[in-house]
Amino acid sequence: MTTTAVPAATTTTVVGFDQVTKSYGGNRAVDGLSLRLHPGETVALLGPNGAGKSTTLDLLLGLKQPDSGTVSLFGGTPREAIVAGRVGAMLQSGGLMDEVTVTELVKLSCSLHPKPYPVSEVLARAGITQIADRKVNKLSGGQAQRVRFALATAGDSDLIILDEPTTGMDVSARQAFWATMREQADQGRTVLFATHYLEEADAIADRVLVLHRGRLLADGTAAEIKARAGARRISFDLDGEIDESALRALPALRTLDVSGQTVRAQSADPDATVHALYGLGLYPRNLEVAGLGLEQAFVAITQAEEAEQS
Amino acid sequence: MNALIKLELTRALRNKKFLFFSVLYPAILFLIFAGSTGADDKVDGTGLTVATYLMVSMASFGALTAVLMGNSERIAKERESGWVRQLRLTPLPGRGYVLAKTASAAVVSLPSIVVVFLAAVAVKHVHLDAWQWLALTGVIWAGSLVFAALGVAIGYLASGDAVRPITMIVYFGLSILGGLWMPSTTFPRFLQDIAKWLPTHAYAALGRAIEQSQAPHAADVAVLAVYFVLFAGGAAWLYRKDTLKA
Repeated sequence: MTTTAVPAATTTTVVGFDQVTKSYGGNRAVDGLSLRLHPGETVALLGPNGAGKSTTLDLLLGLKQPDSGTVSLFGGTPREAIVAGRVGAMLQSGGLMDEVTVTELVKLSCSLHPKPYPVSEVLARAGITQIADRKVNKLSGGQAQRVRFALATAGDSDLIILDEPTTGMDVSARQAFWATMREQADQGRTVLFATHYLEEADAIADRVLVLHRGRLLADGTAAEIKARAGARRISFDLDGEIDESALRALPALRTLDVSGQTVRAQSADPDATVHALYGLGLYPRNLEVAGLGLEQAFVAITQAEEAEQS
Repeated sequence: MNALIKLELTRALRNKKFLFFSVLYPAILFLIFAGSTGADDKVDGTGLTVATYLMVSMASFGALTAVLMGNSERIAKERESGWVRQLRLTPLPGRGYVLAKTASAAVVSLPSIVVVFLAAVAVKHVHLDAWQWLALTGVIWAGSLVFAALGVAIGYLASGDAVRPITMIVYFGLSILGGLWMPSTTFPRFLQDIAKWLPTHAYAALGRAIEQSQAPHAADVAVLAVYFVLFAGGAAWLYRKDTLKA
């Protein structure tokens, strides 16, 4: 993104974590985390369960206080940013008020926001106009998620935080959701979302943060993260009996999986691996060499870290 | 915050069960308890007729029901569901949630007081001066704040599962031992000694003093004030603790 004459406001840091640590008992949920988010970025926060994603979002929103280090939003405290209406957030742990209708709840959110949108617009954007008269406690999981999204986008906020936003949605609802989210990002908003659907991160985010054991393992575009894993995947078919132990001895091999006549492997040096394969006198058919998907890269990076730690 | 108060009210008024128990139930109890008493039956040592005496008891009981039951259970459940967390992501100040709950409970408690008065006038022909009616309404309504604070404290203390039994024990304990259901003068001596230190006892005594054309007794006001500081302080402390944990 290169623009000339960047207005002063967009050069500020949206989110700043500076050496932030947060422990529960003896367990460090967030461990010396430093990161910066810039205006207009769409950022995915990835990590296995227990990686510290939720704690990171809680710290970011001021729901929890760090043990050490500082968290800033738009140069101030999280609370100041929320009071100014600059942040809209949707948390997994965020509940909804019972016994009221969807419209009533959205109306409340709009009237609490300093820069609200019209209620009908918020309902339409979240795709809940049709269920607007329904009681909140009668909604399905996916519908409740969309109501939470409506609450997070009730006003003109500069930063939108989404924690596992598409949980409970079916495939088409998920696609519709991300289409809406892209519009938000296209209007110059900063979007930070945590997800365990890696294809979502791959397709939506222009920056990916990989969190593991409370520390930032990787920070870059999805392509950079994949390259960072340092391996490529190889797949091919073999005829006849497959001698798995011979395959395991192939050079530069990281993983190997044989199912039926199909062999799938990850290799740090696919040229050497394939060369040695021919050297065994085997004739692989349908040979494919490709980069890792984000999911495989993610697993490779976190596993490498696990191995290093133990 | 007005928007939240309005929505809390809408919700309370929509809840038929809650409305029945807080608005109609005290008046019905009044009619049952006072039903067989004659117009000249007096409660010993007070100079008040039984109906007049019970009217204040039941009006106090009604206000207590509305503010205590409404607050404690909702707060505990909404802490558990994460609604309290969600509200913290809005510009609403942290206290706003508790204030909105208390304000809406206060709106429901007013009719529960008035309905008991109406039943007393219409059925038992209780007669008081105009200033006494106004003072009674004001004192019982204002006094219910003490129990609203208690409701908030219980809401932040108890988990969603435990909140109902805890509230019930406190509610019936305070109502019966405080002499709201039957005059505490009918209790054995040791119970009377306990009863006179309970907030519900002092609460009903405020109204009774007005019925006797007196100003509320300083001792009763003091007891209530101490309980208010205790409950509100406890609620504030529990609220802070909950906020840090959330």
